[in-house]
Amino acid sequence: MSYTLRGRVESRLASLLLPLAACCALSAALHLWWPLELCGLMAAVGVALDLQLYHRLLRYQPGWAALPLGLLELGLMLAFVRALGLEAPRVPALALFGGAWAVTQVLGQAGFPLLRLSYAADGGELGRLGVVSAIGVVATLASSAGFWWLRLPPTVHLSAGVHQGLLLIDRRERLVGDRGAIVRGGIVVRASGVTVKNVTVIGGEDGIVVDGVDHVVLDGVAVSGFALDGIHVRRAAVTIENCSIDSLGNVYAQGIDISYAFDKGMSHVMGCTIVGGQEGIAAHSVNVDIMDNRVSRTTLRGIAMTEMSMGMIEGNEIRNASGVGILCNDHSMCMIEKNTVVGTRAVDRHEWTNGYGVLVAYSSEADLRDNALSANPKPFGAIVDSVIRAR
Amino acid sequence: MIRARLRFSALRWQREAGGHSAGRTGPEGIVASARRAGAGARLGRAGGGGGRGPEVGIVGGGLAGFSAYQTLRRGGLSPDEIVVFDESPDPAAVWTRRARAIRQTHMRSESDGHCLPASFPGLAVREALKTGRVTPLLSSVANRYNPTVREFLAHVAELRERSGWDESVRPVLVDRIGVDAEFFSIGGVEVPHVLVATGHPGLAIPDELRGDPRAVHAYEPHEYARSVTVIGAGLAAATEWVNALAAGASVVSVRRREPERRRLNVPREWFSRRALDGYHRTGPAERAAILRRLLAPSFPPGTRWDEPLALAGERFRVEQSLNGAEQVICATGFRRGFQYDPLLRVLVAEHELETFQEWIVLDRDSTVPALTDERRTLALAGAAAQWAFPAADTLVGAKYAARGLLARVRCRTR
Repeated sequence: MSYTLRGRVESRLASLLLPLAACCALSAALHLWWPLELCGLMAAVGVALDLQLYHRLLRYQPGWAALPLGLLELGLMLAFVRALGLEAPRVPALALFGGAWAVTQVLGQAGFPLLRLSYAADGGELGRLGVVSAIGVVATLASSAGFWWLRLPPTVHLSAGVHQGLLLIDRRERLVGDRGAIVRGGIVVRASGVTVKNVTVIGGEDGIVVDGVDHVVLDGVAVSGFALDGIHVRRAAVTIENCSIDSLGNVYAQGIDISYAFDKGMSHVMGCTIVGGQEGIAAHSVNVDIMDNRVSRTTLRGIAMTEMSMGMIEGNEIRNASGVGILCNDHSMCMIEKNTVVGTRAVDRHEWTNGYGVLVAYSSEADLRDNALSANPKPFGAIVDSVIRAR
Repeated sequence: MIRARLRFSALRWQREAGGHSAGRTGPEGIVASARRAGAGARLGRAGGGGGRGPEVGIVGGGLAGFSAYQTLRRGGLSPDEIVVFDESPDPAAVWTRRARAIRQTHMRSESDGHCLPASFPGLAVREALKTGRVTPLLSSVANRYNPTVREFLAHVAELRERSGWDESVRPVLVDRIGVDAEFFSIGGVEVPHVLVATGHPGLAIPDELRGDPRAVHAYEPHEYARSVTVIGAGLAAATEWVNALAAGASVVSVRRREPERRRLNVPREWFSRRALDGYHRTGPAERAAILRRLLAPSFPPGTRWDEPLALAGERFRVEQSLNGAEQVICATGFRRGFQYDPLLRVLVAEHELETFQEWIVLDRDSTVPALTDERRTLALAGAAAQWAFPAADTLVGAKYAARGLLARVRCRTR
């Protein structure tokens, strides 16, 4: 097929109508934006390639070229998804892309030629149908973007200085701290869709509590001086990134505790620095990815994934932990990859605190890959019906 | 508009029936048999109580006319709204004779080279469905699917059967098209829209070989002597090289230029608006130059052609001029130019149609500007339509012309 530029764009946008309808339906059903974000990205990447690359390079496009071009577009999509931080689950996102690609092929090879006899001779142009389709796609994406923008939570700026807590957030909002904004006595989040960004929390029984809500983001928070947990999450799906938690001097504290949210969405803990306390990051009965964190000087475990939890423990650095560096425990399934565990100390002769870099215990399963485990009394071990698969 | 035309037609018929035929305007350039066939048609139109007569006339019932017919049928015209003028009802007769003459086994065109109005489903899909194999589809996406001649002819036969083609064919030899203010008279039938698809205007034989008993045209039935000279550099020539070598002959290829190697008659982008938009903006001299370049002889690349020549060794050679071969095969294609087509030559002369060199100047939709307006359409298909579509002598080209005509038929009947 020798496309004209207009034909390329019209064919692409008309082919996107069906996937876009699916994206709208998915977004509405899931109450999530990622399907529409993906569709928007597909349209943008595709049209950009049409304008900048394909039209210039491909005077004629044979049928087989759909495959490499599809892979190129998939690669770019994945790169953009990562760069823009879109929270699209991998398999459904790939299925959506694959479905859209298949629809495009079926329409391009069969549907459009049957619908419009001159489709090939017109270089893929679809006449009025093309114009209507293009308007339809652009209008749908634009109205979705408008709707998204209208539904953005209000942003509340917390001014510099000390604000006496307990601070309760019970509506959807973005709480953004100015430089030097401090809340004394803790923050409690009781609404879904809340973002807390760049706020320092000092004191309180727990530093930040997230309870029974979803889609909460804690970004760049610093927590210290609490009695029990730095960040305490119960039955909630959260994303915690770039946090800093100081538990030094509190031997029973937990830096981050995410528990009992197996039926909720995936939680993420990324890029946090945690010092001191009994456990750095503890996950009980949740789906969670714990990635690229730095945990040090804990008195029992650096990172613990336990009570039938599932997830990745990847790229973390655990130094000078007492007892165990990384624990996968109690019927949990853990992917433990590319972590560094250094200088773990045995607390006593008890097996559970005997200085393991990685310990898999009590009917749990762990896949270990590319971990750097050094200066630990025992680099790794599996006890009580547990399995380690090293790759 | 249609109603007005029918009234006009009925009045004319009454006037003629009353002995006033001498008062008719416009010439009746048809042979006697056509007059007889046409009289019935006129009676049908007027005497049908306002029933619709043919909307479109196709002059020429070869593959170009046949493909155009399928497009018009798909566009909503019924068999009795289309009348096809040809002496033979078999649309593949002429083409088959030529293909047999050069012992062609496979089509040069790919899956899209069929007579159906839409590019999908092509012959690859047809074969895949028939055989249950996926190979034709995979070959097709790689542009490596060339259907067999047998497959193609079976497809034509099927389509002929189910499209009502035979109902529309009138066994009439048309040597002139009468032009009226609102419609055309062909074989006594009045139609507002006409597609002339008369095919190539005869075989081209070099003047110096006319009457030479050694000479035979590639497209005429022939066997091979022990030494054969093949003149030409296109697909027919390449096929004849291979055929003659396979028959044990020694072969001399005489050609003016090195042949181009192309999968299709013209580069692929010339089948689409991508190249055509620029082409349609060119002036006459530039357009003619493009056509000469595009229509230079070519045949597809591939071992199917190269290997037999390489294996032949001394038995195959290229020379600049004829030698003393026992047989000279003229793979020189067809005569080029409207001047060689009696029907078009008369049409041009009578209506002073604009021409440039050997081409009739056409609009981009293959219509003849001087004989096309909002009431009537005269369009060309086949080689004569290259001014509008360089690959006009392909099946795709015939459909291109038919779509142009269809758009005007729809516009008029809307």
